[in-house]
Amino acid sequence: MKYVFMTAFAVMGALSVVAWLWTPGRTDDGRREIVWVSDDNPMRRQQVDLFNELHPQYRLKLDPQNGGMEKIIVQCLAGVGPDVFDCYSGFQLAAFVRSGIALDCTEEFAARGVDVGSIWPCLTPLTVHEGRAYGFPDNAHAPALWFNKRLFDEAGEAYPTSDWTWQECIEIAARMTLKDERGRPVQFGLMMGLDDWLDVLVAQWGGSVYVPEGTRSALDSPEAAEAMQFYRDLIYKYEVIPSPTQENAMASAGGWGTGTIALFGAGKAAMAIGGRWWLCLLRNPDFADLKLGAVELPAGPSRRVFGGGRSTLINARGNNVEGALKFMEYLHGAEFNNLINRQADALAPVRKYNYSEEFLLNPEHPEEDYNTVWRTAMEKATPREVTPYVQGQTVARILLKQADLLRADLKTGAEAMRDAARNINEAIVEQLGVDPELRERYEAAVANGAPKAWDNEDDAP
Amino acid sequence: MKRNGMAIGTALCFLLPNFLGFLVFTLGPVAFSLAASFTNWNLMKTVPLRWVGLDNFAKLLTEDDFWLYSINTAYLMMGIPISIAASLFLAVLLSQKLRGMVVYRTLFYLPSFTAGVAMLILWKALYNPDFGPVNVAIETVLKWIGASSVEAPTWLSSTKNMLALGAEKVRIVSAQFGLGARDAIIIMGIWTAAGGGNMLLYLAGISNIPEELYEAASIDGAGKWSLFRHVTWPQLAPTTFFIVIMSFIGGLQGGFEQARVMTMGGPAGTTTTLSYYIYTKAFEEFQIGYASAVAWVLFLVIFAVTLFNWRFGSQYVNE
Repeated sequence: MKYVFMTAFAVMGALSVVAWLWTPGRTDDGRREIVWVSDDNPMRRQQVDLFNELHPQYRLKLDPQNGGMEKIIVQCLAGVGPDVFDCYSGFQLAAFVRSGIALDCTEEFAARGVDVGSIWPCLTPLTVHEGRAYGFPDNAHAPALWFNKRLFDEAGEAYPTSDWTWQECIEIAARMTLKDERGRPVQFGLMMGLDDWLDVLVAQWGGSVYVPEGTRSALDSPEAAEAMQFYRDLIYKYEVIPSPTQENAMASAGGWGTGTIALFGAGKAAMAIGGRWWLCLLRNPDFADLKLGAVELPAGPSRRVFGGGRSTLINARGNNVEGALKFMEYLHGAEFNNLINRQADALAPVRKYNYSEEFLLNPEHPEEDYNTVWRTAMEKATPREVTPYVQGQTVARILLKQADLLRADLKTGAEAMRDAARNINEAIVEQLGVDPELRERYEAAVANGAPKAWDNEDDAP
Repeated sequence: MKRNGMAIGTALCFLLPNFLGFLVFTLGPVAFSLAASFTNWNLMKTVPLRWVGLDNFAKLLTEDDFWLYSINTAYLMMGIPISIAASLFLAVLLSQKLRGMVVYRTLFYLPSFTAGVAMLILWKALYNPDFGPVNVAIETVLKWIGASSVEAPTWLSSTKNMLALGAEKVRIVSAQFGLGARDAIIIMGIWTAAGGGNMLLYLAGISNIPEELYEAASIDGAGKWSLFRHVTWPQLAPTTFFIVIMSFIGGLQGGFEQARVMTMGGPAGTTTTLSYYIYTKAFEEFQIGYASAVAWVLFLVIFAVTLFNWRFGSQYVNE
């Protein structure tokens, strides 16, 4: 029997050696592998191919299956994370940095000529955290409004222009909303999901999610309440955007770029708030009949718009930091930026590449005569609001719940925003209670006059 | 003596791989999570690891969300008795001696070996409020009975429920009465469970009932219902007891896949169960210590419910 066990142990030992020798990192042809966790945008393959062509010593590989901040953090901390991964907001960047998995590239960028000052200002929160650079953006995006020219022509409706207001937008949307004999909308005037645009609407009404110092939520302001009441009215009073039930009824199974884009492309809505990146899908031959136009967002009491995009960070515990840094150089370079503009994967992250004739009029798509709109939207965009004092995921959960209750007509705008503010403030207090470093900064901010997240001292952390 | 020692050694060597696996992958993590539940462990490295004693447990007991999600979990378990009854009914039907019975049994067992996510996506389409077959059928019936002004449920996008539970606080809100996302998940659960493992257990149980009992009862003049009531049902008591215990355990741990695939825990958190809450706390908000505490409270609830079932259910089985 002992020989059986000895043989089993020997076999397992030998297999372990074989497994170790086969550890990913070096491919058969001697090229070092770089694993990039990103979404499954159809344009991504071309971006990967271009890098591999420019840098034959590396093989960049896309991993669309392991996206999601929680997966990335857990995998990186466990030592099995990707080499580079995407980040979509300042909140996410803060979480990646605070969990210790994002590599500080400040010095390396300076040595390699990767200039984070060359990007659109609203991308800075996605790449720079507390003065240190942790990655480089892949694209830039600010919302504007798509409209379907064919539907407008059929209805004899004049195209909107960029100097319009929300009131004008509602009037057009009401005329462009068509219903069947049972009163069910078959074509909506406008599509806009609250998940993406809640803070934009609040800002347009002159409110904000946080006070400027980030120490307290400001969603309990009359401006935020009015903005949310306006959104609710779009569903239930003006009936120009779908309710959750109607959205559900129109929804498809999901996947990258489906949902609102596919519905707009299929002519189910005359107008939709979105980004230039929608063209990645709308250029598809399935939407050949679509005649697109774009204008800036209608103005509320203010014309404030937030911009953002996507950045790529380096795994501080990755196996191929040098390759990852080469990838950052690629993101900064002309080849990549011009490719982004040609593909219409939003806008190039480096500003100067958006001021060319080729950007304004892509010879392969001469019908796209609206690129100035997207560039103007980017120029006007400011960074989304971020506070270090509460986790982004917690805020997202709170806002989603209140948005659900508002959209289900169970709360007024004022009630939803009051409760959202209260819950965010409670989350800030809780976070301060467990993070002494953060508490120290918070106390310093409060000492300088920033408002506290609590009203009674009994509620202090 | 020496031979005995050798035999024990050999046996231990055979057991060792399994024991090591159990130690590393089950017992170790369980003990680790228990320890973690007494800490403030957070994946953010700026939060220093600290022993917090019972703070996590005290906090969750005073937190609205924990109670709301506990109630969601309990609500979804309301389908358990119906699904057990449906399994028994199907098992009785499928134990008849008819031609092609194997095909029927396979068909009813189909949901159990269909990929879970595919099935959930299919059900999501079935519940489509406008053109989903469920609402099309309901609307047809409503029209047929002359009640076409009554609106069909909006299912997965509705916070309504049959107990009129509020969406944000643990309270009764009459406007919330109706069919909503939670009921949609219950109905789907009944469909899935009715023809699943429980049906197979009942089938096995029925096949083990001695034929003589039926013969004796028939001679005494028992009809079909009496045969079921006085022979089949009592003979299946141990099987029912086992199924009830396992269903309660499964129900308390359940709801994760449905929430993740169909609703993301919404609308307004109404389909978030304790297991999904543990996931969001641990892997979305990175509060591993707190999530561990919720997991241990869930374990204690499962343990208490199982003990309760054991205490009272076993009496019934042994009668």
